[in-house]
Amino acid sequence: MGETVGNLIGLNDEVIHPAATLAVEAHNSPSKQFLVKKIKIRHDYSSVVVLAFSGSMFPDDWFGQPPFGKTKIDTGNFPSLTSLNDGGDAVVNGSFLRRFNGVLDKLSHAKELKEAIEKKRQVVFSGYSSAGPIAILATVYFLENRTLSPRCLTFGSPLLGDRIFGHVLRREGWSDYFTHFVMKYDIIPRIMLSPSSTEQEQILNYFKSKFDRKNINPAPPSGFYLTVVGNASSVASYEACHLMGCRNPSLDIIKSFIELSPYRPSGTYVFCTGNGNLVVVKNPNAVLQILIHCAELGESNTAEVEKRSLDEHSAYLSELKECLGMQAVVSLDGGPATATLNDLGLSPQAMLCLQAAEEFENRRSRNLEKIRNYLEKIEVELEMLRKYKGNAQISRLGYYDSFKLQNEDDDFHANVSRLEIAGIWDEIKEMLKEFELPDDFEKKPEFIEIGKIYRRLVEPLDIANFYRHRKDKETGPYVIGRGARPKRYRFAQRWLEHDENKPFGSRSESCFCAEVEQLGIDIKEKGYLQEIKDRIHQLERNLIAWIGDESLDDDVLLENSTFVKWWRDLPLKCKSESDRIENLIRGKADRL
Amino acid sequence: MKRRRMNQVPLFSSAGEQAKMLVTSNLIDAAWAKIPELQRGQSALPSSVQTMIDHPTPNSTIVVFAPLPDSTQYPLPQGGDLVPYPDFDFLGTKEWPSVSINRAALTLFESLKNHLYGLKTELNKREGQLIITGHSLGGSIASLFTLYLLSSMDKESKCRPICITFGSPLIGNFALQHSHWNSFFLHLVSDKDPLPTLFLSSGRSAPTSSHSQATAYKPFGTYLLCSEIGCACFDDPDLILKILTVASSEVAGGLLQVVDYGEILRNLKNRAICKGPQLAGERFAYPFSDGIVMELKTIGIDPAKHNIDTTRMEAEARTLAKKTKASDAKELNDIKKYMVMLEWYKKKSKEANKCYYDCFKNGDFQRDVRIEEFMGQLTTYWEDMVAQAERKPQKEGASFRTAWFQSATTFRRMVEPLDIAIFYRDGGRDYINNGRSPLYKLLEKLYDEAAKNTTREGPDSKNKKVSVLLTDDSCFWAHVEDAILSCQSLNHANSTPEQRESSWKNLVEFGKYVTKQIENFAVSPEIFLEQSSFMKWWRMYEASIDAFRNFYTSPLVNFMKSHKYDDYGLPEEA
Repeated sequence: MGETVGNLIGLNDEVIHPAATLAVEAHNSPSKQFLVKKIKIRHDYSSVVVLAFSGSMFPDDWFGQPPFGKTKIDTGNFPSLTSLNDGGDAVVNGSFLRRFNGVLDKLSHAKELKEAIEKKRQVVFSGYSSAGPIAILATVYFLENRTLSPRCLTFGSPLLGDRIFGHVLRREGWSDYFTHFVMKYDIIPRIMLSPSSTEQEQILNYFKSKFDRKNINPAPPSGFYLTVVGNASSVASYEACHLMGCRNPSLDIIKSFIELSPYRPSGTYVFCTGNGNLVVVKNPNAVLQILIHCAELGESNTAEVEKRSLDEHSAYLSELKECLGMQAVVSLDGGPATATLNDLGLSPQAMLCLQAAEEFENRRSRNLEKIRNYLEKIEVELEMLRKYKGNAQISRLGYYDSFKLQNEDDDFHANVSRLEIAGIWDEIKEMLKEFELPDDFEKKPEFIEIGKIYRRLVEPLDIANFYRHRKDKETGPYVIGRGARPKRYRFAQRWLEHDENKPFGSRSESCFCAEVEQLGIDIKEKGYLQEIKDRIHQLERNLIAWIGDESLDDDVLLENSTFVKWWRDLPLKCKSESDRIENLIRGKADRL
Repeated sequence: MKRRRMNQVPLFSSAGEQAKMLVTSNLIDAAWAKIPELQRGQSALPSSVQTMIDHPTPNSTIVVFAPLPDSTQYPLPQGGDLVPYPDFDFLGTKEWPSVSINRAALTLFESLKNHLYGLKTELNKREGQLIITGHSLGGSIASLFTLYLLSSMDKESKCRPICITFGSPLIGNFALQHSHWNSFFLHLVSDKDPLPTLFLSSGRSAPTSSHSQATAYKPFGTYLLCSEIGCACFDDPDLILKILTVASSEVAGGLLQVVDYGEILRNLKNRAICKGPQLAGERFAYPFSDGIVMELKTIGIDPAKHNIDTTRMEAEARTLAKKTKASDAKELNDIKKYMVMLEWYKKKSKEANKCYYDCFKNGDFQRDVRIEEFMGQLTTYWEDMVAQAERKPQKEGASFRTAWFQSATTFRRMVEPLDIAIFYRDGGRDYINNGRSPLYKLLEKLYDEAAKNTTREGPDSKNKKVSVLLTDDSCFWAHVEDAILSCQSLNHANSTPEQRESSWKNLVEFGKYVTKQIENFAVSPEIFLEQSSFMKWWRMYEASIDAFRNFYTSPLVNFMKSHKYDDYGLPEEA
């Protein structure tokens, strides 16, 4: 006990209410794109700069192309917002992204932000209702830029991004910077889980006339609750099936006939239970379940709840004032606690869903432990391969070529080691594709490092095996970014490139021999086309760079290696770096 | 008392959530909405079941089957017994090879067949979503038509079907539990509807010869079972049968009650966003069993009273949960590893100028012990694959096998010689009839069938790298061993003339067999290594010819005597 909301979300409690007040004020000031306010913290005399965005209740600013108005994030402004395991780029609501792009220019020139950066002040982006997603995007934008380390507070915000969006925030360790306050019945945080419909338009029009104050008491719409919450419930049940490990294959077939909303919660959620208590939840799957289950109808009739779902959207300031005074806060992340759930009015079925969400996280931790236990085994096999490589160098053939010949006992043992590690690594690959490992797995230095070593040491063997059996005839060439190249290597390469902030493909040194082999085949089939010459030149430049930074082992330069033999046979006019590479080859021969 | 071992992870039952997802989505509504529409329209077919086709969007198609509301002109056919229907034998599995269909449904299906054939041709051309739906006996036709359609669809088909039925009777005796097709069927059944179990109970009440048949009805697909207060999805046929039987025994009034599935759906949609009377309470200590009890009670089943074993259900779920894509990936790499080990063994033997067959038979290398372990692992793996295929309906099982039968053939050619070695080392005779495992027989049968179906370019060309080849006929060494035994019998002092004659005949046959293998480049050149069993046989045979049938000659004898085998398998000179 004694925890305050501020403690749990890593922000001073004194900031929250002023940030909410500014957010509501800014939302209703469409003439200004955002409002800025400096808040003095009493106990340590520091200042926090709050920047709150304006909102819009025009349906066009909420829903683009039906049914869900989704769009791929632009990875120019948001380079991290993509999956490293074949899941593609993050998807967000296109209308919200468009509105963010509209304020971006002014935002990046805001003098208040420049000053905050200079004086190292904490910046908080804040947004109420439709301004919530803008605050989220602004926060991600500056986290990507690394000029600022802002926090984000939203109040009654609609959902913005899909599962990949949340996955990336957690992968990058940014998730804790986002806090979303949600009232128990507020319809707006649930609205994006339902496809666009006339019901939703009615809701927005109602708020629009209410906020415009042209109409003091607009007539509230009715009859929307079943549609909106029903559709949202479909999403929650689908996710619950996954959390519960649904083993009925018909689920996938059914899913292909139903278009469910792509949007999912991300960041920390703080639920206001309505009786002054606050429930803090970080597990994104638990958040989704609570969002739906606590909005379910109880004893009271539909009309009553429906009205409440509208009223609560404009009750944040008063509710927060009470809650922040009481600081009756419970965190749900130690597992669902009974008393809290009764505050939220959850059913036994909801309890099962929450337990499943908790168990899903536990399963991911267990999987991580399992993979960690493999590391030792991987290391043993890698050590065997290092020795093999050393011996092959002594024989002056290089381990790529000796492995390709498969003549010696050592080559066979190396092949067994290769398969041993491939089994483990394929298991990791499958777990990643199914999100069965913690989100930050691909950012963990130990795995990036072992992935790098593994790739450089073992991938040449896979390539040797591939071209030894001329598998390109069956599967097409071994290509760096797709095709026959095993995904385990592609994934490991992406982790490293992402970690080093480099574009995809820049770290394909482990595929060097594949390009050599493929060029050999392509030249035989097509002759020296311009495209082939370009590839040769690129290969030569890569070789020089990779030998230079030692990412590529220099035994490709051995006199008898596939590369040297092939390259020396090339007509001189096809080479662009003849002298430098000759020097490298001679240098290698001299060192031996 | 419930007990759970401490190290076991909690499991959950998603029967309730899956049902909730279905009723809150619009899929089932969209299917149901067309049925009253069809029943209101003009009847176009001279049949008690009408059908129509509609395209709600350019990329989706819905096909509807419903009985006429007024069945005076065309009464619904009667008949609760099962009739063998060979046309649907493509659904047969090893356990249930011949398929029988409910007589009433079959009568209707046959009467509509011309129309359905045209419909199938039309649908096969379409892309996108295809919903096939029907009510009561119309649902039976929808199911039969979907099966008929699936049987003619290939993997590349861009049409994705789903079949949704409302209150349809059970159809047949076939099992789809292990089939991919099972997931294309969704059957909605109300606990107030007597129709789904109609034929089941009629079969029961009349203990005639049709009794055993009638109780052989098997549900397939996913059942969305609903009551006044909720719903749950199940796909275990035995459990579904039990629930349906319980429900039918409790339906009051019998047949006359008409169940309005539209009303049921509306009610369930409202229920789905209601909490119900109870609040969360304590955490569940046994989420799976507690969950499934809740789910069963929702649809009016008391597991204790109706003798439903939730512990067994949990154990089954636990077994299923262990098999994941990740564990499959690991297993596949292990299998590759074992094959690499065996290839290496073969290579090492050759370097020692021996066949791996002989090395293994004589126990020449220390590593032979582990070889038996790898053989065991590989055999278990392939037995499991074959068993999986056998649980699937014939047609689907066939395409499942196509995916792996190349690897299975390599496995057979690599490993069976080792099993033959063990057999003859332990003093066996006539391996093919006395020692061959069903696994190898089956894999060879599959290979022969596949070879028949693919147009081959005649015998494998000479350019084929014979030197790395495995001998095509995995029983080659068994023939060699039997030939050696024949030679021994020929030479044996106590053999009768009849025995000698028969042995000689066997040897002539064997000679022809080997010649054919050599002509087709179907044997590995390793068999000509000096110490191989084959050469041992040749030396015995050569001596026998000299002793018994001087001047006997055959293509093989010429081939061997002239040492032509020295060139066998060498790359041709350019």
